[in-house]
Parts: sequence; structure tokens; C-alpha cells
Amino acid sequence: MNKINLGIIGLGNQGKIHLRNCMHLENVIVKGVADISKKNLDFAMKLGIKNAYTNYEDILKDEQINAVIISLPNFLHLEASLKAAEAGKHVFIEKPMGRNVEECREILSAFQKNNLKLMVGYGLRFHPVVKRIREKIMDGFFGEVQIVESTYVSSGPFSPKSNRVGPVPVPSWWFDKKLAGGGSFLDLGSHMIDLLLWFFGEVKDVESYIYYTFNLEIEDVATCVLKFKKGPLAIVNTGWFSKDFTRSIQICGTAKNLWFNLSRSNVVKEILKHVKKKIGWYSSDPYYLELAHFMNCLQKDEEPNPSGEDGLRCHEVISWAYRKAFEKIKN
Amino acid sequence: MSLVSFVRVINHDYNSVKRGIKESLDLINFNFSRNVNKIVIKPNICYYYHPSTGEVTDPWFVSVLIDVLRDNFGECSDIYVVESDASAMKCKYAFKMLGYDRMARGKNVKLINLTETKSRIVDITVNNAKFEFHVPELFYEADLVVNVPKIKYMSYVKITCALKNMFGCNAFPRKYIYHKALDEAIVGINKLIRTNLVVGDGLIVSGRYTKRLGLIMSSEDPVAFDTAAAKLMGLNSRSVRHITLAFEEGLGKMNYLPMGEYSYFEENFPRWNLKDKLWKTISSVYLKVLPEG
Repeated sequence: MNKINLGIIGLGNQGKIHLRNCMHLENVIVKGVADISKKNLDFAMKLGIKNAYTNYEDILKDEQINAVIISLPNFLHLEASLKAAEAGKHVFIEKPMGRNVEECREILSAFQKNNLKLMVGYGLRFHPVVKRIREKIMDGFFGEVQIVESTYVSSGPFSPKSNRVGPVPVPSWWFDKKLAGGGSFLDLGSHMIDLLLWFFGEVKDVESYIYYTFNLEIEDVATCVLKFKKGPLAIVNTGWFSKDFTRSIQICGTAKNLWFNLSRSNVVKEILKHVKKKIGWYSSDPYYLELAHFMNCLQKDEEPNPSGEDGLRCHEVISWAYRKAFEKIKN
Repeated sequence: MSLVSFVRVINHDYNSVKRGIKESLDLINFNFSRNVNKIVIKPNICYYYHPSTGEVTDPWFVSVLIDVLRDNFGECSDIYVVESDASAMKCKYAFKMLGYDRMARGKNVKLINLTETKSRIVDITVNNAKFEFHVPELFYEADLVVNVPKIKYMSYVKITCALKNMFGCNAFPRKYIYHKALDEAIVGINKLIRTNLVVGDGLIVSGRYTKRLGLIMSSEDPVAFDTAAAKLMGLNSRSVRHITLAFEEGLGKMNYLPMGEYSYFEENFPRWNLKDKLWKTISSVYLKVLPEG
């Protein structure tokens, strides 16, 4: 495959980030975008995208397009990815892969059946600090890792500064358990679970607690303890309750204990990030790196990482944790 | 000269807060002997923040205030707790998330999303800026409008206290259209809907950082209230444009007599220091200039 002809389905916050990043990938031509919002399509057209559709099926019909990015609300992942697989497109799908294990299985089997590549957007795997942590774990720097604590707490979708200057409306599907599939544990916890599975492999046991600070039907506080078959005890704390932002991993091993801050950068770091992008230096942006990886995999015919199987495994653990937490609530 | 009271509540339990609210109202000589049938209470529910952040009025504080009002005006008065939808905040979610719906059920008061009620479209001009506001009918029928703001900084208009809180009484949901002349818009809505009483929920404040300050602040004059709050927060009230505009438009006085423990709060409010102000300016310029992503 020479250059990849790409379509982007969904131009919300994350979709726009993907679009901007794709514009800087040398081996990608963004052939078309789809979104129900005219404002979002105008945004894409200003960036030079000629084909902007309100119906994503128009992108899937375009035979020139080899691959699509699906960046839609959770409840649309299943339908869009099945249609993409049917149309023979390779897919980069935003996390979570689906709303539950059943949806993930259905998606994965559609891609396996059609021999297509599927990558799940767990961008934290491409965070430079996370990469270093994994290397150090593999190198034995920590000795034998015994305890890991990962925390991802923010305001979630209720972000008063999500457009960075003022509040933006929260799409109503976030408030609906059926449409969202879950709360903070699915949204943020899935990132941390994915990393832990990547670091330590298979899970042996799960214990978890969820809580509802904001009286919604989706949880906004969750803590989960995972016991790995060949690895440590790992605690995953997630929440949508805070106006502050914390994303961190602490690793305690027989040789070394370290705490890593993966939080959003401060103003100085943000300015530097923009300067780097202005001069075309994208090498440390996880969202850019994950797309670059996906495109390279398509060109070289390699399996992307995290793959659809990884997405499913992550969901199996999430589902296990939810089951345990709901059992406690029932009792 | 208007009276502004500052009462300190050390224990945030029901009896202490109730006593504190009553003391704060007594210090401003608030007249309970008037005939009041319909009371409208306007808390600050600006976004989906937890009350413990100091960003929104605590429904529990409103519930205690309701008891004080009922004790003094009689059980028969109709009480309405109101807020309207905003560009990013929808009452149907916020009432539930923050616990206002539970509070309203418990206290048997009516919880109203003003955006869903009948309103009059009224034009008003402030300082050459023309506005169209949707004024809910409820305010024309109210005997007493009680404004229950938070006491906090806000980058657009420096402070959010009594005057800014009334901005949420405009039933029109897409409030961002007023942001180009927000100071004038704040004064405009205050001219159309007059506050009879301000009772500030300063039990927890959001200043430089969130702090359990234990402050209950009251006044019958929203301009005096905001002038006093600005000083408490370390700002020159003359530099807060909507306060001076409100004064010029005759909404209240900028000279006030502090009653109660003002000096304690002046010493303990988590004020922005020079570094914070500088940093805030740099980051707000940066956020406006540089694109997202």
C-alpha cells in the first residue's frame, strides 16, 4: 500500500484532534470526513478536506478509501464498525471499543472474518513516560513488581474548560447508561486497565467498588483491585468527580519504587507543545504517535497495537469489575 | 450607607448554620414583619460542580435558609428555588447531580427551571449596549427575591457574587450571546429583576484554592454586597466594572457598613496573590491566542 486514503467518521473533540494529526502524517491522505454537525464539517473544510458528509455511509461507499477512524459516541461504535468492516475498511476506533463485551466480540469477529486491521485508540500506550515505564518493567529495573497504583481522576465529560476557554455543553448520551455503556470506570478506567494488561498480562482476580457522587445512573467514582496471574496486585482509581486532573502510576517493586505523573501538562508545557507542532515536531504527542503507528501497520501489513483483541481483553476485565461492584450494591 | 453582615460559622452543622443565617439577617436589620406569600430563591448553579468545591451554592445551605425564612415568614409562604439553562449547563441534569431535586422534595419547595417557564421578552439598554432578556413571570409575582450567591473569582468579570448570580434569572438558555458585553448584561438583568435580599453561601469558598471559610454574608443591597465581597477578595471594587456600572445605574450603594467579623474573613479568604493574577492573565491570553490541539 502506498499512501493511505483515510476517512474520519465523527468530528467531536477527539475527531478534530485526529484530523489535525492526520494532516501532518506523510503517508496519509484524508479523503473525506463525516459528522452530523455542519460546524464541524466547516472546520474540516477549512483545513482543506474536500469531501465532507453528514452521513458516514458516504465515506464507506468511497472505494478509494482504505481505512477509517471512528470517533463517535460509544453507542454508535458497534454499528459504524460493523458497516466499515462490511465495506472492507481497516479501522482505528476510539476507545472504548464498544459498550460491553458482547459488542466488542461482535466487532472483533467482523474484522477477523474480513481479514481487516482493527486498532483501538488507547493513546496512553504511546505516552513517552508510559513507554519508559514498560521498558523499565521489562528490563527488571523495579525488580519484581509487587504493587501498582494507577489513578485517573478528572471532571470527565463534565469539563468546565473542555474547549479551553469556557464550558461547552455535555452531549446528553453521556448521562444515559444505555448509550454510554458505563461511567468513569469505562471511560477513564479502561485506559489504565489497558496499560496494566499491557504491562503484566492476564488477570487472575478482580475486586471493585463503584460510587455515585453526582446521583446519576452512571458511576463517577470507581476503585478496582486486579491480581495478575504472573504479576502484582494493581489498584485502579478512577473518577469524574473532580475539577482537578490527576493521571498517575505508582510502581513498587522489590528493587525500586517510583511514581510517574502522566497528568495534562501545565501552561508552559502546553505552549511548548504548540511551538513543537508549529515547527512540525510531533514526536512526543501520543495521539499523533498512535495514528502514525496505525498507518505504518497498514503500510507494512502488520498487526496494530493495541489491537481489537486487546480492546476485547480490556472490556472483559472491565465487565468483571462492574459485575463485582454491582453484586456489592445488590447485597 | 448599606449594611453588609459577616457572620462566622465554625461548625457546619444544621443548628450552627441556621443560627448563623438568622444572626446575619438580624445584623442588617432585615424586616421579617412584611407580608410575604411568594418567595423566589436564586442559588448559584453555574455548572456540574460538586458543592464541596465552593463553585456552586450548596443545596443544604439553601435548605437551612428555607427553614429560617419559614420560621420567620410562616409556613404558608410558597417557596420557589430557581435556575435557568445555560449554554453548557442544563438544569435537568444539574438539579439531580448537585442534589437540588432531593432537597426540594425534602423541603416541599418548588424547583423551577426558568427556561421552561413563561417569560416576558424585555429590551433594555445599559451603557449604550442593547439587550433582550427573557424575564420569567415568576419574578413579577414574587414578594421576596432572595439571591444566594457564592463568593468567588471569575476571569471574565473578576468576581461572581450577587450581581452576576442574577444573570442566571434570564430564562434564555444561550447565554454566551451576552458575553461580548457581560458587565452591561449583568447590570441589565439586575435592573429588570431586583434582589430584595442577598444571603451569600461562603461556608466553602473557591478563591486561590477551595477553603472551608465558614462565612455567611448578607445584605439587602446587591451592589454593597459585591463591593464588600470584592474587598474581601483583595480587589478594588472600582476595578470591577459591573459593580461601578450597577452603582451608576442606581442599583445600590458602593459605600457600606460592615457588620460582624469582617476582619477575620479579610485575613482568611484564600486570595489570589500577584503571581496568581499574573499567571491568570498569561494563561487567559494564551488560551485565546493559540488554537486547541
